[in-house]
Amino acid sequence: MTNHWRDIRHADLILINGANPAEAHPVGFRWMMRAKLERGAKMIHTDPRFTRTSAVSDHHVRIRTGTDVAFFGGLINYVLQNELYHKEYVDWATNAGHVVSADYAFTDGLFNGFNAQTSAYNTAAWAYETDGGFAKVDPANPRSVLNLMREHYKRYTPEMVERITGIPREQFLEVAKLVGETGRPDKVMTIVYAVGLTHHTTGVQLIRSAALLQLLLGNMGRPGGGMNAERGHANIQGNTDHAISWEILPGYLRIPAPGQKNLADYLAASATRKLRPNSVNFFGENYRKFMVSLLKAWYGDAATPANEFAFDYLPKPAANSSWISIFDQALRGKMEGLILSGMTATSIGPDSNQVLQALSNLKWLCVMDPFNTTSSEFWKAPGIDAASVQTEVFMLPATHWIEKDGSFTNSGRWVQWKEQVLPPEGEARHDHWLLAELFDRVKQLYAQQGGKFPDALKALTMPYRDARRPELDEIAQEINGKSLTTGKRLDTFAALLDDGTTTAGDWIYTGHYPETGNLAKRRAGIADPAKNDPTGMGFYPNWAWSWPLNRRVMYNRASADTQGRPWDPKRVGIAWDAAANKWVGDVPDYPATAAPGPTAPLPFIMTAEGTGRLFSNGVADGPFPEHYEPVESPVDNPLHPNVSTTPAAFRYDEKAGRGNRFGTAREFPYVATSYRLTEHEHYVTQNVEHLVQLQPEAFVEVPAELAREKGIVNGDHVRVSSKRGKLEVRAVVTSRLGALMIDGKKVYQIGIPIHWGFVGINTGQHWLANALTPFVGDASSRTPEFKSFLVNLEKI
Amino acid sequence: MAEITPGRAYGFFTDTSVCIGCKACEVACKQWNQLPGNEPVFGDGYDNTGTLDAQNWRHVAFIDNVPDQTAGPGAGKAWLMMSDVCKHCQQASCLEVCPTGAIIRTEFDSVYIQPDVCNGCRDCIAACPYDVIEMDKAKGVAQKCTLCYDRLQGNLEPACAKACPTDSIQFGPVDELRAAAQQRVSDLHDQGVTQARLYGQDDSVYGGLNAFFLLMDEPQAYRLPDADNAVLPSRNNAGGYLGMAGAAVLGVLASLFALRRRREPAVEPGAGDER
Amino acid sequence: MTALAEPAQHFAGSPDWTWYILFYFFCAGLSGGSYVIASLMRLRGDPADEPAARIGYHVSFLALLPCPVLLILDLGSPLRFWHMMWNTTPGDGGLNFFYWSPMSVGVWALLVFGVFATASFVHALVLDGRIRFPLVGLLDGGFGTVFAAVGALLGLFVAGYTGVLLAVSNQPVWSDTWALGGLFLVSGLSGSAALLLYLLRYRADAAASAGPLTVSERLYAVLELLLIVIFAITLMPAGTFGQAFGMPWALLWLVALAGLVPGIGGLLGSGLAVTPEGVTVPVQSVSAARSAAAAGLVLVGVLALRAAVIFSAQYP
Ligand SMILES: Nc1nc2c(c(=O)[nH]1)N[C@H]1C(S)=C(S)[C@@H](COP(=O)(O)OP(=O)(O)OC[C@H]3O[C@@H](n4cnc5c(=O)[nH]c(N)nc54)[C@H](O)[C@@H]3O)O[C@H]1N2
Ligand SMILES: Nc1nc2c(c(=O)[nH]1)N[C@H]1C(S)=C(S)[C@@H](COP(=O)(O)OP(=O)(O)OC[C@H]3O[C@@H](n4cnc5c(=O)[nH]c(N)nc54)[C@H](O)[C@@H]3O)O[C@H]1N2
Ligand code: SF4
Ligand code: SF4
Ligand code: SF4
Ligand code: SF4
Ligand code: SF4
Ligand SMILES: [Mo]
Repeated sequence: MTNHWRDIRHADLILINGANPAEAHPVGFRWMMRAKLERGAKMIHTDPRFTRTSAVSDHHVRIRTGTDVAFFGGLINYVLQNELYHKEYVDWATNAGHVVSADYAFTDGLFNGFNAQTSAYNTAAWAYETDGGFAKVDPANPRSVLNLMREHYKRYTPEMVERITGIPREQFLEVAKLVGETGRPDKVMTIVYAVGLTHHTTGVQLIRSAALLQLLLGNMGRPGGGMNAERGHANIQGNTDHAISWEILPGYLRIPAPGQKNLADYLAASATRKLRPNSVNFFGENYRKFMVSLLKAWYGDAATPANEFAFDYLPKPAANSSWISIFDQALRGKMEGLILSGMTATSIGPDSNQVLQALSNLKWLCVMDPFNTTSSEFWKAPGIDAASVQTEVFMLPATHWIEKDGSFTNSGRWVQWKEQVLPPEGEARHDHWLLAELFDRVKQLYAQQGGKFPDALKALTMPYRDARRPELDEIAQEINGKSLTTGKRLDTFAALLDDGTTTAGDWIYTGHYPETGNLAKRRAGIADPAKNDPTGMGFYPNWAWSWPLNRRVMYNRASADTQGRPWDPKRVGIAWDAAANKWVGDVPDYPATAAPGPTAPLPFIMTAEGTGRLFSNGVADGPFPEHYEPVESPVDNPLHPNVSTTPAAFRYDEKAGRGNRFGTAREFPYVATSYRLTEHEHYVTQNVEHLVQLQPEAFVEVPAELAREKGIVNGDHVRVSSKRGKLEVRAVVTSRLGALMIDGKKVYQIGIPIHWGFVGINTGQHWLANALTPFVGDASSRTPEFKSFLVNLEKI
Repeated sequence: MAEITPGRAYGFFTDTSVCIGCKACEVACKQWNQLPGNEPVFGDGYDNTGTLDAQNWRHVAFIDNVPDQTAGPGAGKAWLMMSDVCKHCQQASCLEVCPTGAIIRTEFDSVYIQPDVCNGCRDCIAACPYDVIEMDKAKGVAQKCTLCYDRLQGNLEPACAKACPTDSIQFGPVDELRAAAQQRVSDLHDQGVTQARLYGQDDSVYGGLNAFFLLMDEPQAYRLPDADNAVLPSRNNAGGYLGMAGAAVLGVLASLFALRRRREPAVEPGAGDER
Repeated sequence: MTALAEPAQHFAGSPDWTWYILFYFFCAGLSGGSYVIASLMRLRGDPADEPAARIGYHVSFLALLPCPVLLILDLGSPLRFWHMMWNTTPGDGGLNFFYWSPMSVGVWALLVFGVFATASFVHALVLDGRIRFPLVGLLDGGFGTVFAAVGALLGLFVAGYTGVLLAVSNQPVWSDTWALGGLFLVSGLSGSAALLLYLLRYRADAAASAGPLTVSERLYAVLELLLIVIFAITLMPAGTFGQAFGMPWALLWLVALAGLVPGIGGLLGSGLAVTPEGVTVPVQSVSAARSAAAAGLVLVGVLALRAAVIFSAQYP
C-alpha cells in the first residue's frame, strides 16, 4: 500500500478492483466501512462475481475476468476526453510533459522493440528524448507522454469497454462520472486491489493502468488516495521487503546478473540516473550505499573495498527463478531436491497435476511445516501411483508463526512486533533454527571436505549468540544495521555509507530498531488519540514503525501543491510551515527542509524523473498498459485480433518442448476464475474444526442461468474440467454470477474457491482447484494466471 | 468502553446493512463458550450453519436476492446477511412458559437459561417465536445465547461483538444503542437507502428487544414475526382453559343425562352366556 | 393492523415432543376420563352402577401409573423432574407454581389427582373386599361424595390441560386455536367410556351399566366431532389448516374419525329411548370380539387424534 489501512477512511470514493476485502481482509475492511459510515463515501466493487464485498458496495460492476486494463483504459480515456484530470498536479508531479523518443510506436497490438525470437521486448527502446542527459519536457509536443496517452487510450471508448469487459455502457458511464469527480483537489479516491489484478498474464499492467488513473486524477500521495495493495499472508509484505522473490535482494535491490564483474557494472545496470536537473533520484543516488551496507552485513570483515565488498560471493542467476520456473526446471529433470518452507506447492499450483509430476521427478523433497500438507503427502494425491514415485520426502516439523515472536509487516508497511502466543508443540523447531543449523552443518562439511567455491559460505556471518539458534530479536537488529565505526545501531538509512563502515540487512528497515529499542513494539494507539495522533489524520506515529522512516503515506509530497499548500486543507498529508521552515504533518517523503519554489526538488524523490510515471520502461510488456486477452480466452481481442494475448508472456511448456496445455473456447466454453472464501485461509485451515464446519465441502459457483440450461440445482455434483485437469464437486447455483455479453457473444463465468485438498479434517474433499489452472504467468513478474482460464461444466 | 454496570439494561444493536457475513461472530461465540459445534455438513454453500441451535448461539443468515442480470447497486439490498441471535425480549416467551424457573432475567436485563436448573422439558423451545433455543442432547438442557453473562460480570463485552470487524454487532446499554440506531437509520434514509428499518428497538415487538436489528427488508424475510404477529404464548391461556371448561360442562351434562336413575334390567336374558 | 385474512407468521422451532408425550397425553386422557365417569356414576347413577364405577377407578389408577414415567423419560435431564416443583435457582429457591404456565400447573394437578386416583382405587379394592385398609373408611359417606366430586374436577383438568399446554406456545397449529383443551378432554371421556364399556363384561355385577355407558359414549362421540370441527375452523384464519390436516396427517385424522364410528354410528343406527324411567338403549349382547374391536377402534382413534395434533405442528 502507498497509504495504509486506517487511511482508507479519508476516501470519498473507494474503487475496489480485483480484491474482495470483505472476505479476504475482513478486519482491514472495517476502514472502508468507516469511510462509508462516517463520511458517506461511495464504494464501487468491480468483480466478476457479486461477493460479500459487493453486498455492501454502492455499485457492483460485473466485469469479465482479465479485462481490467480495458476498464481502467476506458476511465483514463473518459478522464482525458472530458478534461477531468487534475491539471496542476499532472503538469508538476507526473512525466506528462516528457517527450518520448521518436522510435516509440504502437501498431496492431505491438509496441516497438519486440523481438519475435525471444518473444520479449527490449524495454530500453521506450525512452525519452534527451538533451544533456536530461529528459526533454514539452507538454505541447505531439510526442509528449500525455499526448501519446490520449492517442493510446482514445480507442477505449465506452462501447469498446462494453465489448471487452461486458460492463454495460450506461453502468460504465455512471461509474466513470463518480471516478472523474475525484480529479478535483477537494475529492479523493482510493484504489484497493489484490490478487484479482495480479493473477493474470497481464497482472503488472492491470495494476499500472489503475496507477495511471490515480496519477491523472492527482490522487497519489494524498491521504484517502493512493494505490493500495491488500497483501496476502499476515507477513507477505515483510517477505517481499526481505526478498522472497528471486529477482531482488532485501530492500528491492536488483539481484546481480551474470557478466556483472563488479559493483560498477552492477550499479550501471541497476541504479537509475537523474533524468531531470531538480529530481532527487534518491534510490539511484544511494544505491551503492545500500548495496555495500548489505554486503557488509552479510560478509562482515570478508567484505573489503579491495574485493568489491565480496560482490563475487553473491549468486548471479542466469535464468528466471520464479515460482513456475522452479517447477519447470524439475519437470525438465534439472533439479535434484527442493525445500518447501511454509508453502504448499501441490495445492497452490498452477496446474497441480504438472506440479505433482515435477515433485515426482525430484530425488528428494524437504517440507518444513507445522502440518502435513498436500506437498509432504503428495504421493497420496488421487490418481498418483505411489509405488512409481521415487522421491524421498523429509518432513521437518516447524513451529507455526503463532508459536514464535517476531515481526509482521502489514499491507500498510507497518512493522509490528508480536509475542509468542503458544509454546511450540512436540518436536517442532523454529524455521530460523532449522535453517541456521542446516547452514551450520553444510558450512562444516565444506570446512572438512572442501568443495567448489566454499568461500561464499565460509564468509557468511552468523553474528548471533548461538549460531544454530539465532533469536529473531538478534536478526531484527542485524536487519536494522549499524555503524561499524561507533558500533551503534543506526536510526536512518540516510546514515548509510558506501565505504564499508556501515551495515544494513535491509536498508528500508534501517531505523526500526535504533539504540533506543525495537520501535516495532510501540503501541501508542487509540487509547489516547489526542496525544498519540497529533495531526488527527490517524498516522499514530508512535504505533509500531512504518517503513520507510516511519512514513505513513508514501509520496506524500504530492499531497500538497507546488507552494506546499495541501490540496485539501481538511486532509493534510504534509504542509510547508514557512515559519518553522520545514515540512509538517506526516514524515515527509521529501527533503525535510527543502522550501517550495521553482527550483525546489521534484515531488517523487525515488524516481529518476522526480515525477510519477505515466510512461515507463520499468515493465516487460509495454510503456503503456494495453488490454490483452488472457492466454485462455473465449474471444479474440477486439482491439487487435492478431495479437490477442500478451506477446511477452513466457510459455513454459512450449519452450520446454512439452507442448502447450491450453484449451480453446470450443472444448472449454466457460470462463473460470479462482478465489478465496472468508471461512478458510488457503489450505492450512483444513486443520481447524470450527472453520471446516463453516465451509466443509469443496464447491464451485455456477450462474443460475447456465444451471437452468444444464438442469443443475444447488448442491448437485458437477464436473468442472480444463485442458489440464478436473474437479468433481458440488455446485452452488446463484445469480451472483451472471452471463456477460462479450463482443456480441454470451459468456458465462464460473467461480472456483481454492481451499480444499487431500489433507486435513474433511479429507473426502480431495479436489485441488489448481488442477484446472494454466502453467503460465505475467510477462514481468511471472505470477501465474490463476484468475482467468477456460473450463467445461457437466452435471454428474 | 464504559464500565458494564449491573442494574443497567444491555444488549445488541445488530446493523445488518454493514454485515459482511464473515461469521467471525459465530466462531468467537463457539470459542468463548467452548461449543464444539456440529458435524460438518454442506448447507447451501455460504450458510452451512443453518439455524440457531445448541451449538450455534449466533447464526449468520444469507438471503440471496441478486438478479440474474448485472446487479448494479449492492448497498446491502441484493444479498442480505444478518447475524441472528437471542433477542433478549423484554416480554420473553421462553421465560414465560418455563416451569422450573430456570430462565431468569439477569442484572444486565438479559434472558439467561441456568443450565443447572433447567431439566430439559423443552417448553421454552415451543414458545420462543424466533427459533433460538435448542436442547443440547449431551448436556440434557436447553441452550442459547447467554449475552455472555460471564463476560459481562467480568466487565468484558460479548465475544461476538468484540470479534465483529465491521461493528455490525454493537454492544452497549440499550438506551444508548437505540439512539445510535435511530441516527444510523436516518443517515441511511438520507443516503436514499429507504428500505432500511429498525426491528425491536421500540416496544412494538415483545415490549422491545434488548438485541434489536436494523433490517434491509421486511422482518418476515429474516424469519422475524412482524409487530402484529409478535405474540406471547400466554395469550392462549384464557381461551384454552375456557374452551376446556365449556367442553367439560357439556361432557358432564352428557354424562348426567346418560346416567339418570332408572328401572332395570335393560339387558336381554342370555347376554351373560358368552362369558 | 394486518387483515384477518393474512396467515399468522410462525418461525418457532419444534420442541421435539414425540412418543413419550403422545402416550402421556393418551394415558392422562384415559385416567382423567375414567375417574370422571366413575365418580359421576357413583354420585349420580343408579346403585347398580357402583360396580362399573369401581372398574372406572381401577382404570383411572392403572392409566395414571405410566404418566410420571413417560413425563420423566421425556426430559433431557430425567433426574431433575423435581425441578418442576422446586426452584433450585441459587438464592432464589422455593416452590414452583406458575399459574400462567400450563406445564407448571399441570404437574401439580397431576400430583394432586394422583392422590385422589390412588385413594379411590384403594377404596374400591376395600369395598370389593380384596384388601383391608381401615383409613379409606373415610371415603364412605358425605366426605366421600365431596372427595369424588373434587377428584372428578381434577380428572377433567388432567384429561384436558395437555391441549391447553400445546396452545400456550408459539407453534403453528397449536397456538392458532383455543379448542385443543376441550378436544383432548372429550376424546379422553369417549375413550374412557368405550374402554369401561368393554371391561364391564369382566365383572358380572356391572352389566347393568352397559346401557348408560353406551349412551355416554355416543354423546361424547358427538361432542368430540363437534370439537374437531371447531378446531379445524379456528385454524383457517391462521392459515395452518393445511398443515394440520394435509398429508400425511390426513390419514391419522381418518383413524381418529373412525374412532367415532361406534358412537355416532350407534346413535344414528338405533338411537336412544328416553322414557320416564330413564334413558335406555337396546343393548344387544355382542360377542367379546366385537365389543373389543369397538373399544379398540375408539381408543386407537383417541391416540391418532393426539398424534395428528402433536406431529403435524412440529413436522410439517
Ligand atoms: N479468508 C481468507 N483471507 C485471505 C486469504 C485466504 O486464503 N482466506 N489469503 C490471503 C492472501 S495470501 C492473499 S494474496 C489475499 C488475496 O485477496 P484477494 O485478492 O481479495 O482474494 P481473491 O479471492 O483471490 O480475489 C479477489 C477477487 O478477485 C476477483 N477477480 C478475479 N479475476 C478478476 C479480474 O480479472 N478482475 C477483477 N476486477 N476481479 C477479479 C475474484 O472474483 C475475487 O472476488 O487474501 C488474503 N486473505
Ligand atoms: N488457483 C489459485 N491458486 C492460488 C491462489 C489463487 O488465488 N488461486 N492464490 C495464490 C496466493 S496469493 C498464495 S499467497 C498462495 C498461498 O499458498 P501457501 O502460502 O502455500 O498457502 P498456505 O496454505 O497459507 O500455506 C502456508 C503453509 O505454511 C505453514 N505455516 C504456517 N506458519 C508457518 C511457519 O511459521 N513456518 C513454516 N515453516 N510454515 C508455516 C502452514 O501450515 C501452511 O501449510 O496460493 C496461491 N495459489
Ligand atoms: S485473520 Fe488475521 S489477517 Fe485475516 S483478516 Fe483476520 S485479522 Fe486480518
Ligand atoms: S428470543 Fe426467544 S429465547 Fe431469546 S428471549 Fe426471546 S423468547 Fe427467549
Ligand atoms: S427446557 Fe429448561 S429452560 Fe426450557 S422451559 Fe424447560 S426447564 Fe425451562
Ligand atoms: S453474546 Fe456471547 S453467547 Fe451470545 S452470541 Fe454473543 S458470544 Fe455467543
Ligand atoms: S462478525 Fe459482524 S460482519 Fe461478520 S458476520 Fe458476524 S455480524 Fe456480520
Ligand atoms: Mo497471497
